[in-house]
Amino acid sequence: MTDLHRKEIEIKKEQFQELVAELHSPLNRTSSSFKIWIGFLLLLMGTAAFMYVRQLRFGLGTTDMRDIASWGLYIADFVFLIAVSLVGSLITAILKLSNIKWATPLTRISEIIAVAALFSALLIIVVDMGRPDRLWHIFVYGRLQSPIVWDILVVNTYLVISILLLYIPLIPDIALLRKTMGHKPKWQQKMYKILSLGWQGTEDQVKVLNLSLKALMVVIIPVALSIHTVTSWLFASTLRPGWDSTIFGPYFVAGAFMVGAATVIVTMYIIREAYNFKEYITDEHFDLMGKLLVLTSLVYLYFNLNEFMVPAYKMKSGESAHILGLLVGDYSLMFWSVQIIGMIAPIFLMAFKPFRKPKPMLVISVLIVIAAFLKRFLIVTPTLLHPFLPIQNYPESYHHYNPTFSEMMITVGSIAGIALVISIFTRLFPIIPVSETAHEQGFPNEIINNS
Amino acid sequence: MVKITLLISIILLTCTQNAKSQVKPWPVSAEDAGKINPIPVELKNLGIGRNIFTRTCVACHGAKADGKGLIPSASLIDETFQKQSDGSIFFKINTGRDKMPPFKGMLKEDEIWSVVNYLRILVNRSALPPAKDVNLEISTGEEIKSITAYVHSADSAKLPFPEVDVHFYIKRDFGLMRIGELSNYTGADGKVKVVFPEKIIGDKEGNVTVLAKVEDNFLYNNSEMAVERKWGEQMVTEDEKFNQRALWGSRDKSPVWLLLLANGIIVGIWGVIFYVIYNLFRIKKTGKIFIKE
Repeated sequence: MTDLHRKEIEIKKEQFQELVAELHSPLNRTSSSFKIWIGFLLLLMGTAAFMYVRQLRFGLGTTDMRDIASWGLYIADFVFLIAVSLVGSLITAILKLSNIKWATPLTRISEIIAVAALFSALLIIVVDMGRPDRLWHIFVYGRLQSPIVWDILVVNTYLVISILLLYIPLIPDIALLRKTMGHKPKWQQKMYKILSLGWQGTEDQVKVLNLSLKALMVVIIPVALSIHTVTSWLFASTLRPGWDSTIFGPYFVAGAFMVGAATVIVTMYIIREAYNFKEYITDEHFDLMGKLLVLTSLVYLYFNLNEFMVPAYKMKSGESAHILGLLVGDYSLMFWSVQIIGMIAPIFLMAFKPFRKPKPMLVISVLIVIAAFLKRFLIVTPTLLHPFLPIQNYPESYHHYNPTFSEMMITVGSIAGIALVISIFTRLFPIIPVSETAHEQGFPNEIINNS
Repeated sequence: MVKITLLISIILLTCTQNAKSQVKPWPVSAEDAGKINPIPVELKNLGIGRNIFTRTCVACHGAKADGKGLIPSASLIDETFQKQSDGSIFFKINTGRDKMPPFKGMLKEDEIWSVVNYLRILVNRSALPPAKDVNLEISTGEEIKSITAYVHSADSAKLPFPEVDVHFYIKRDFGLMRIGELSNYTGADGKVKVVFPEKIIGDKEGNVTVLAKVEDNFLYNNSEMAVERKWGEQMVTEDEKFNQRALWGSRDKSPVWLLLLANGIIVGIWGVIFYVIYNLFRIKKTGKIFIKE
């Protein structure tokens, strides 16, 4: 080996170490603002836990759900969280399989969002149960004919795949952490040791790893589509105005990609600002994510047009109360705010480049996420309040659904839980893939494995 | 930020549209309020009043008339209500207001007055003599399917009681079905007869349980008797339909195509997952070999 060559390697090595130090910087931070943030999230979750214990003690009467509106904020939250989790497959699998390189720094962000949102979704569905102690009945007595059973199956399958898809690309990074994080507490080092699986970056290991990743990326796409399709079938397989629709599957999936992309934009903005990752999450990323968001929003707009225009044109007698309630009635204010502020205006704005800068993108994405939540609420509740058979002999209060404080706090707690998981994750693992970034920047294998 | 606050205020607005109704005064003219109740407080009239009350008032005002029925409504047993004159109560039942329907067309004037009397008795039961024990016997006619209830005193003398309201029921899967009239009064011989209706479905043999009850009576304590007769039509169940494999079938009767499809998908997907997990062990194994060297 010539001296020149050796020197070149030395320089590369130094560059690589700089890259690692930069991407590992969040792990070495000790800021009080982070502690305050975690404390704030724990406070929200604690309130939610208190409200849930109260709900267990006094029953679902602490919610405003009654015989007629038997699904409410919790189910809206569940559908919302499932929708958010779909982004994991969009960014990691669909973009990666189409060889789109720019999304690499966003893969881990989207995967951790997916995993955290799924955990939260599974919890909120238990919260919605009047008798959570009978949860095991679904496994023992569940009928394969019931969409509820399909949903349980597919959500858990997607959760496992998402965890694997988060973990497997992380293995080389954890091996790196094992080397660089010698100053961390014992439990943390032990965790890195176990999770790194003795990764050495040998050819065999790389081959097996890539093979596994590819298999997962292919498998996760149909599973991701089915998770939200099955969730939509929970509604569509029921004979009710507004749910009795054949396009509910793709309608939900399109909406999920839209809110998922918006969630990633919000999260990547916060991470970029908090950890000063402007070099890795660039303005270009926001621009491209903005374009992706316009695309997904346009698809969703198209489905919305179909979903509301066609029944509104026909105004079938059974459905008209529901449709009119949305378009001009009780829920019209929320409906039109969601459609205009949460979809049409963002599409229009994001078509212009200045609005695809980080700050405007953040504002637009936050609006889209809030609107997406309300949209789920509009899908769940107004339908239940307008059944085909007229509501008779029920107390007056059963005719309305206004979520109680307890329900709202538990829902807020479920969102806080996601933020908590993501926040802690960024302090334990590099949120931007280190070895993948290094590979893409052209560092050779020996340097990545042996420095 | 402006947009966010706007949106949040929209959410809050839509979530808190639950205004509570307030009690408005309900003026009654002196002429109406001064009307005299022409119906005497007699047991028979009270029975009529009670029957009308259970049929038309209980749904909203509650079985105890405390206003805690399906729709929140006025309590008919509290002081503010009871201190009104008979005429005022009559006027309000007659004309109605808001959710309280006018009963002008539905009930005769005498019937409304009976209801007023009944409402009075609800808070002042001491105006009535203490209730007596009765025994009730059922006999049935087979030619024409009919049920005769015989009400007599509980002691050994077995004196027949006339003018006792007997209720007749047929037992169904989830409760009792009323037959006969709302009130069936016993005659001078203490007996009252109702005809068993046609086309009543019984169990597999056609057996039907018939009940007669003296209940909620001012003058007599509760008493009841039941008999079983083979008067009904036989219940025919088509078990074959339920034993088929179908979407509506039980857990062990899922359709074959669904079993194949669902389990095929599950095995396929989880096969890949287990393959990946197996790969993780492979990675670990090769890592160990490397370290040993």
